[in-house]
Amino acid sequence: MLIEIHNLTKVYDADRGLQPINLTIETGELVAVIGHNGAGKSTFLKMLASWHLPDSGEVIIDGIDLKNRVAVARKIGFVPEVPNLFEFFSVEYNLKIFARLFQVPFLRIEEILQEFDLGNFRKNRVQILSKGLRQRVSIGRALLADPPILLFDEPTSGLDFDMTKEIYRMIKTFHAAGKTIIFTSHRPEEIKTLATRVIMLHQGNLVFDGPPREYFQSEVYEKLCLL
Amino acid sequence: MMKNIMTLTFNDLAIAFKNKTIFLIIFIPLFVFFSLKLVDSAPTDIKKIRVGLIQDAIYAPVILQTIVSSDGIFTVSRVSSEEEGKSWVKEKRLDGLLLPAENRENGLILVVLEKGSLQALSIIESFSALQNLVEGKNLNWIADIQSLQQGGIQKQTLPTWILMLVLLVGFIIMPAQVAEEKEKKLLIALLQTPMREVEWLIAKVLSGMVLILTAVIILQVMCQFEIGNIPSYIAFILVGSFCFSSYGIFLGFLCRNQASARTLGVLFYLPHLIPSALSDFSQKLTSIATFLPSYQLYEPIKNILLNDGHISNLSLEWISLLCVGLLTFLFSYLLMKRRWLM
Repeated sequence: MLIEIHNLTKVYDADRGLQPINLTIETGELVAVIGHNGAGKSTFLKMLASWHLPDSGEVIIDGIDLKNRVAVARKIGFVPEVPNLFEFFSVEYNLKIFARLFQVPFLRIEEILQEFDLGNFRKNRVQILSKGLRQRVSIGRALLADPPILLFDEPTSGLDFDMTKEIYRMIKTFHAAGKTIIFTSHRPEEIKTLATRVIMLHQGNLVFDGPPREYFQSEVYEKLCLL
Repeated sequence: MMKNIMTLTFNDLAIAFKNKTIFLIIFIPLFVFFSLKLVDSAPTDIKKIRVGLIQDAIYAPVILQTIVSSDGIFTVSRVSSEEEGKSWVKEKRLDGLLLPAENRENGLILVVLEKGSLQALSIIESFSALQNLVEGKNLNWIADIQSLQQGGIQKQTLPTWILMLVLLVGFIIMPAQVAEEKEKKLLIALLQTPMREVEWLIAKVLSGMVLILTAVIILQVMCQFEIGNIPSYIAFILVGSFCFSSYGIFLGFLCRNQASARTLGVLFYLPHLIPSALSDFSQKLTSIATFLPSYQLYEPIKNILLNDGHISNLSLEWISLLCVGLLTFLFSYLLMKRRWLM
């Protein structure tokens, strides 16, 4: 699933947002978007997920403009940093309502519950679940329509070591299944473990685009990331 | 300890300021003050009481002469028939209609919209004063008072309760619900699906309408008041629930969080409720209320419940409610498309 990004821009104020960015992401790539706080990582990802509308520029997903949100909705699954679920309802209800809207059969819910080991929690209200479990429900929801593109905004933020390892395993499995994955991260080990490509943003500008090995040897890394 | 309490108190006040709750504290007393001013000043503003006399009816000469000569108190209009006079009263073109009493020579029947209204009281008081001047203490000229509105005082307050329910859902519940979905990023999560914006909006309007209809049905079943024209009543409850659900959703879109939505809701709730509900007591309030969609619901509901009104005579009000609903629906759609404050 080819993602073409042309002059994508979003400006909040003078020094925040995203300056015009041009990129092409090929099918099956596992891209880490990195940068300091306020560099524009989340803004970039949220624009791909249609959370934010760009000020200018365009994103083409497999030949379809992202502006045509309804047409590309089944192609993109987004997992936000803080799971946005209906907290008063059960895990099953949360998956059901989205399954209905994605028009996928309820059998898929059983698959998701099994795949993410959520079967025992299906009747539990989301608000009583741990952060790790909520994150699993959130990932399960993003996968309901089996989208070829997955976007993760800081997927391991606030998770313990075991849950972080679990998320890494999941991302690797999705990647092995041929999905295109873009995630934002602060963690060097996450980039080394997962990414096939690194995109670094600094003050809204694209300052590095290449394989992780090159990134860790680059001048940008030395200048911006080493103490 | 005191330092901590002070710090936390200032923090709470800062939050109240930030989420605009403070505006309620300023707005409510101001609004009540101006409303009361309008209500209180109303009787002095009614320079003349508008009474109607039937063209060919025979009135006692002393009464007729008194009414006509007391030019500063009454404005007299001649109507061709009793029916026309009653319709003028219903349309509020007259404060009261005077009919000659058949069983008394110097007697009148006063026809008013409501027996206990300010208009009725001021007519009776004025007649009593004039009669005292002309005849001294004698048998009262007004022999009987007829009310055009049916039902007791409970039924007469029903339109106000209905308006309160509709506005409560429209301005308090709906904005908070929409703002909550925005604040918790639930709306944006729903927009990750192939659902269209308009589908979400229609669903939201329908949920608001269901809430309003449920409340009105419960009220109606419990009170068991007779409704004159049921289709007209249903038509107005439906269009009113559509209008105010849509209005409330629009207000929700103007807010980033629930606290702001609650504040904004109250800021809209009171100015829509009070002028309409108190319009019977003040001409000034009536003239303000006419511009409010709440009045366009209140007046027809009152007309249908109390005066056997029919939608055919109230089509303008029905259309105006529909237009407000459609307009706010359109604004909400545009804001949603722009991901306003999401």
